[in-house]
Amino acid sequence: MDFTSEQEAVRDVVREFAVEELRPVAAECDAEQAFPEDVWDDLADMDLTGLTVPEGYGGYDADPVTYALINEELAYGMLSVATALSVHGLATSCIAEFGSEDVKDEWLPEMATGRPVGAFALSEPQAGSNPAEMSTVARRDGDEFVVDGTKQWITNGKRSDVVILFAKTDRDDPGSVTQFLVPKDTDGVSVGKKEDKLGLRASDTTSLEFDGARIPAEYQLTEEGRGLSAAFSILTGGRIAIGAQSVGLAQSALDAALEYSQEREQFDQPISDIQTIRHKLADMQTKVQAGRLLTYDAARKKASGDPQATAMAASQAKLFSSESAIEVANEAVQIHGGYGYTTDFPVERLYRDAKILTIYEGTSEIQKKIIARHLLD
Amino acid sequence: MKVLVTVKEVAAVEDEFEIDGTAIDEAYLEYDLNEWDDYAIEEGVQISESEDDVEVVSVTIGPERSEETIRMALAKGADRAVRVWDDSLEDAEMLDVEAKTNLLAAVVEEEEPDLVLSGVQADDDGFGATGVSLADEVGFEWAAVVNDLELDVEGGVASVRRELEGGVEELTDVDLPAVLTIQTGINEPRYASLRGIRQAQRKEIKPMTLDDLGLSADVAESDLEIVDMYEPETESDATLFEGSPDETAGQLAEVLRDGGVGQ
Ligand SMILES: Cc1cc2nc3c(=O)[nH]c(=O)nc-3n(C[C@H](O)[C@H](O)[C@H](O)COP(=O)(O)OP(=O)(O)OC[C@H]3O[C@@H](n4cnc5c(N)ncnc54)[C@H](O)[C@@H]3O)c2cc1C
Repeated sequence: MDFTSEQEAVRDVVREFAVEELRPVAAECDAEQAFPEDVWDDLADMDLTGLTVPEGYGGYDADPVTYALINEELAYGMLSVATALSVHGLATSCIAEFGSEDVKDEWLPEMATGRPVGAFALSEPQAGSNPAEMSTVARRDGDEFVVDGTKQWITNGKRSDVVILFAKTDRDDPGSVTQFLVPKDTDGVSVGKKEDKLGLRASDTTSLEFDGARIPAEYQLTEEGRGLSAAFSILTGGRIAIGAQSVGLAQSALDAALEYSQEREQFDQPISDIQTIRHKLADMQTKVQAGRLLTYDAARKKASGDPQATAMAASQAKLFSSESAIEVANEAVQIHGGYGYTTDFPVERLYRDAKILTIYEGTSEIQKKIIARHLLD
Repeated sequence: MKVLVTVKEVAAVEDEFEIDGTAIDEAYLEYDLNEWDDYAIEEGVQISESEDDVEVVSVTIGPERSEETIRMALAKGADRAVRVWDDSLEDAEMLDVEAKTNLLAAVVEEEEPDLVLSGVQADDDGFGATGVSLADEVGFEWAAVVNDLELDVEGGVASVRRELEGGVEELTDVDLPAVLTIQTGINEPRYASLRGIRQAQRKEIKPMTLDDLGLSADVAESDLEIVDMYEPETESDATLFEGSPDETAGQLAEVLRDGGVGQ
């Protein structure tokens, strides 16, 4: 794999940060369901909160390969932090891509420095895999929009200060989905209860309620009816990021299993001398590396600017890497035996965290739907 | 004001390794920035952030590979770098303190810094002498094992706290120009920022040969010779206390009393 010296230096620094600053606090954040806000401020100091902000607005404007490398390394440390950051990145890329000059000037320079934190609100209680069924409405009223509805499963739901919102401008027209920016302190916006989750417990997932929330018309980011295609184009980049996070998490589980298997002795030998365990490790390594290559491939395609090829490659990367992450984390627990089933070892958390990867930003079933469509239609 | 920070790329040995003659086999070595130098860079960069018109120049002695390491210093905020290397250095088995002193002294002559910051020691060969030896060679004031630094740029004085043996510390003033060898813990080295890394790609790393420095090849000659390389026998004589905190504290107290540490 050929990387530029800048990409290598970025990867090395983020890896060091993940190992030194994320790993040691991951278990505690998971147990307390608390997001490490001081770590977020460190990410900001390193410019990581400006990855998808153009340089002109104080961002780093990471190329897709660098973006993938960073997501991989952060997830090697703690998936909750990598997820929160990638959602912030979705929000800033929406503003950068679709916002007017004024909106960009107002929001991007500050978001690049870490706060306000962004959220991305597409899913609803009755509209997940098929967001076109959403029922949230933004009704035009003079030079304002009035938003009513409920968004569900919103990452950074509580800790965010600004929300990229998808809503229909016409209740009866499914083709009227449009993208808006909603400051969280707008009257009529409230945060619902925090979900109590299997994994990813340090990341706050909440619902958001919009009850007659009025936003200025200039916070309409896309043209009317262009919201969904905007969401899908942004999510293509998001899926590469989730693919990369899957690889990072899986690598973390593999490394833990490698270390443990060489220390643990049974039948008077390290269990890493037992062929069954060796084969497990070989399978795990191969899955991690295959997922990594698919992810880099998708990132390279995005860098070369071919949206069709990128969309298919991104879905393949997300599908394969996320399913592999679950398998690798599962085997990592198995290799740890009973110890792996306890919170004394990190693989227990990795096993729980891994499952979200096949669900958010498009389930595995939806990724297959996309890949098949590219193959057949 | 100009601050020169000396940095070294050090070799770290993997847990399992093999010795090849009088050296550790290259295959088991990984290279990284010397830990102490990371603190020296941070100290230099902090000076440039708190004072006006400070240039931070980083210097290393090393092959092209070491550019990666020195670029990290640039990413953290050093303005430019100098890398000294030469075929005759490549051929030398070892660069001892004297050789490094002479090489760095030539750079100091060229750069004329007001302050030189070096690490207390290098993590690999661990001579722990280069900084002070350099000060002696170029006729600068010096302070070793500095763990706190206040700089009075106008008065040309560095007020330092030095860590001595046995937990004793010394507060002293050093007139500039000076060489300070920096102890870990003096600050909290930052992670390079992404934009810092990007800018570092465009910053200058000036290569300098012995010729450029007006030195001849015999600078690398050494009175020291590595005659053997072996793994020392390790012996462990640990006592493990078991029981409640109360009980283990009692057991520890007993050991300390027997050893004559406490009454
Ligand atoms: C922790 C967490 C964080 C999240 N963060 C965000 C966020 O920040 N922003 C946001 O907008 N959303 C977020 N989501 C929502 C997430 O993207 C959705 O949960 C996901 O898209 C699936 O939607 P759903 O839950 O409604 O499941 P459903 O769509 O109801 O799917 C249920 C099952 O049916 C399958 N299925 C549905 N349709 C098809 C089909 N056509 N073909 C085959 N199978 C199908 C699905 O694959 C799944 O197995 C998050 C979710 C979680 C759990």
